[in-house]
Amino acid sequence: MIGSIKGPAAVLLAAAMLYGMQRTTPLYSDITSPVPVTGRQGERVDTSAFAIGVANVHLAREVTASSFGRDRTYTTSGVWVIIEAAAAAKQESLSLTSAKWLGPNGVRHALSQRLSSMPGMPGTERLEPGIPRPMLMAFEVPESQLSGATLLIARSAVTPLAEEAWIKITDVRAQNIRSTVKLGRGNRSQPWTLEAQ
Amino acid sequence: MTIRQRLLAILITGIGGTAAAAASFAMAVYDAANPEGVTVVAASEPVDTGRWIVTVREARAGPIPPTGIEPPEPKTFVMVEFDADNRSAETNNVLTRLLAIDPPVPNLPDPIVYLARDGWVAGGINPGMPERMIAAWEWPPALPPPRTLRLLIGSQIYKRRDNLYGASGWFDLDPVAAVELSVSPAAAEATQ
Repeated sequence: MIGSIKGPAAVLLAAAMLYGMQRTTPLYSDITSPVPVTGRQGERVDTSAFAIGVANVHLAREVTASSFGRDRTYTTSGVWVIIEAAAAAKQESLSLTSAKWLGPNGVRHALSQRLSSMPGMPGTERLEPGIPRPMLMAFEVPESQLSGATLLIARSAVTPLAEEAWIKITDVRAQNIRSTVKLGRGNRSQPWTLEAQ
Repeated sequence: MTIRQRLLAILITGIGGTAAAAASFAMAVYDAANPEGVTVVAASEPVDTGRWIVTVREARAGPIPPTGIEPPEPKTFVMVEFDADNRSAETNNVLTRLLAIDPPVPNLPDPIVYLARDGWVAGGINPGMPERMIAAWEWPPALPPPRTLRLLIGSQIYKRRDNLYGASGWFDLDPVAAVELSVSPAAAEATQ
């Protein structure tokens, strides 16, 4: 009696184990995803390759920026998020080229490409070890994705197992949305000027 | 079990297997020989392409691109206005290959996609922020601008694990729909 059950029971057990293993195998993208280093807005976040601190977050309906000597107005169907930060490399010179706005619903918003040539934007400047440099970032996000968001900063978008700074953005309120933020060119130590109206 | 029974079992499984393989092969050959035509949708009808919901609005031809700045040497632009809503979890460019002119026009460069609201070249489109855009093809000067335009709308499929790495991603699939538009040359002069 027991002998006749043993065979099918073993097959069922093996099938259940295989099914469980198949369902719980981590995705390739999970295995090779960057390692998060968490922090908050207003404090220094240290990864092994770079350090970054996010100071101000400005919200606006429109951004005015000078481009080729002319003032241009950039509209958005959501809200402009302009972030002022400072970053420094640690051991070797590097560029921080990847910044993403991770909204509370899990959507990753990439940097707005329309202001990407502004001085201070990620990728426009190389960071040298030990010399902190100001850094400017601009995103266009839906209004519902403002509060409870996280800023993700890494050396590049695809760096398996490299460290990525996950900075919790705390100082964002919908009533602080300005009508216009004006970006201008600054000097060597502060590459941009920012005027909220 | 006698040898006779064993032989019979082998024979039956062999015949069954061969029949299944033959049926599957025949179906594949039949499908390849009789491709299903793509469904034709009307203008302003939303099309679910997997990653995007695309609504093709209208087409026009004219000398002024969506930037509003006429190029120094006269050119003809064929412009298609459409709405795109990103349904994925990440910012993405509207692939210029999402909309394809059918039948293909020789020597036609890829279109440049502009935002309709301010005439700037469109960058990545965020999920939750549907945008109206204009795809502008620089029409070869040797050809007259078309009166009607048939566009194929491509689609993409999400795979949680792809066949090579087991990574998740979006992969191109066959066109899901075709849309036929009449190209208005007068509207371009009037609106711009």
